[in-house]
Amino acid sequence: MNIQINGLVPLPLQDKLSNRPSDIWLTQTTFTSGNKIKIKAASGTGKTTLVHMLYKLRHDYVGEILINGRLLPTIKNNQLAALRQQSLSIVFQDMRLFDQLTALENIELKRVLAQPVLYQSKVIGQMAEQLGILHILNQKAGNCSYGERQRIAIIRALMQPFKWLIMDEPFSHLDHLNIDKAASLIATECAKRAAGLIITDLEHDAHFDYTQQYQL
Amino acid sequence: MLHQLLTKIINTGIGGTRRWLASIGLFVAVLLILLATQLQVNYNNLLYGSSNRDSIANFLVINKVVDGNKMDNSLTSKEINQLRQQPFVQAVGELTNSRFKVSAQSPSNQVPFYTDLFFESVPNQFIDVQNKGWTWKQGDVTIPMIVPNQFLDLYNFGFAPSQNLAQLSQDMVMALPVVINVQHPGGLQTFTGRVVGFSDRISSVLVPENFLDWANKQFGTRQQANTSRVVIRTADAGDPALAVYLKNNGLKTDAEKTRFSKYRLIVDVVVKASASTGVVLLLFALLVFSLFVQLTIAATSADIQLLVSLGTSPTQLQRFLMQKFMPANLIICAVCLVTVWLVQFAAQQFLINQQLLISPMLSLYTVAAALAIILVLWLVTRATVRKYIFSVAG
Repeated sequence: MNIQINGLVPLPLQDKLSNRPSDIWLTQTTFTSGNKIKIKAASGTGKTTLVHMLYKLRHDYVGEILINGRLLPTIKNNQLAALRQQSLSIVFQDMRLFDQLTALENIELKRVLAQPVLYQSKVIGQMAEQLGILHILNQKAGNCSYGERQRIAIIRALMQPFKWLIMDEPFSHLDHLNIDKAASLIATECAKRAAGLIITDLEHDAHFDYTQQYQL
Repeated sequence: MLHQLLTKIINTGIGGTRRWLASIGLFVAVLLILLATQLQVNYNNLLYGSSNRDSIANFLVINKVVDGNKMDNSLTSKEINQLRQQPFVQAVGELTNSRFKVSAQSPSNQVPFYTDLFFESVPNQFIDVQNKGWTWKQGDVTIPMIVPNQFLDLYNFGFAPSQNLAQLSQDMVMALPVVINVQHPGGLQTFTGRVVGFSDRISSVLVPENFLDWANKQFGTRQQANTSRVVIRTADAGDPALAVYLKNNGLKTDAEKTRFSKYRLIVDVVVKASASTGVVLLLFALLVFSLFVQLTIAATSADIQLLVSLGTSPTQLQRFLMQKFMPANLIICAVCLVTVWLVQFAAQQFLINQQLLISPMLSLYTVAAALAIILVLWLVTRATVRKYIFSVAG
């Protein structure tokens, strides 16, 4: 499943971005299935905006995004839900957990959303142990620290089948040791699914074996 | 599992009071509509049903106006046929006269009485008394009779006090045999008469039709006589067309019976008013309910948005929300049905003492009305849920 962008630029940033070189904005780029893509950018240059546009949370742009040759705006409602349940998984920069649910419930929600389920419930425990958050699984997500919330969001994203895993600064609040553990888990899960990943970050890094690196 | 999690997420935003108010409003509205439906059905059953006690409502005895100017006030077959063809007439029963001399006397010397008598007969379907004793076959010496209620009243409240005689109950009269003497050219034949019922409908001494046919053939001294009275069955005793027809053709009937139409009009208005109130209330309840659904979705719109962005499909959310709202609606409708059934049962027990027979069960129409209301509720809830989920989901 390829993701193609043609002459894409977000409307609010149009003036600012037009006069500035970019590997993504206002270009023709294709993210080929199974590739590991790194998108590096300074703050305020539209990383989150790009992620939201790819995930069809924002529509305020000019240019085109095509998923498997299909224009993103033509995918609606239940088809969009199917896409998000089966093909696109995401780790938001702001995590977007349900504060009123426990960490476990947040992850469970994603696990049971797409039928048939991909993983049994015990896999959550295994992953949580691997990332060192087993002890907080029964805590309300609202009471967890930022770093813990990031790891909950990562495990949640891994509960479903996907062709692409999109992550928006997923390690911003993790120390090196925890980043290594999380990146290793993510790489394993992507390999299992032969899936690609798109990760945005501020700096250069070597968390994954990137196929392409772009400057936004 | 998904359902439980969604319940946890979506429940947090909803106020209980509003839900109760919406439910109570819906309950009252549904109850009113179902009660009005059941009332209308009962009412129709009482009016048009074929139960044995719906005595005087739609049967009218019709005869010519006797003004002293004519010798013969009987109805010709042409006149009867014409009557039969009127739209307000459902059936016509001719009263057949006895064409022989009859007298009745007491079998005992302790209560001596003697009276000349006459018999009339009418097809059974026009008689308001159904009794196992109401049969006669050739060879029987006992003749069942139905006498007017007024006869007994006249005796009990007029004759008996003036003659210092004991008053008689219906059961006592029915237990007393009477000697019936039929005079005919060949002599005198004696039968035993037994009163098997009292009629409010026909002011005559009725005997079974087959007895009178046989007796007229056997003892009759005159040729077939013209019919002097007929009983008609009508859907509406208060039909103005009926009154006009009778007047124009010099016919009359018991005015007392047509008075019923006024009560009927009042009941009609009451039933229609309660049904209309129910419908208006249902509309309001639906409005409140759909606002409640909107409010629930609005109060949790951020959560619903997040659910959608995580990949929850609008269909999944719709199914969840329908499962959340519809059970309460179903329970409300069920409680209303049970309430109406209890009311119906109580009404049946009460009315049975008033000689009015209604079914102790709910009518099919009432159940159908409840199902229709459930369907409307389902459609309104679904439309509201869909509209607002899709708007929130973007």
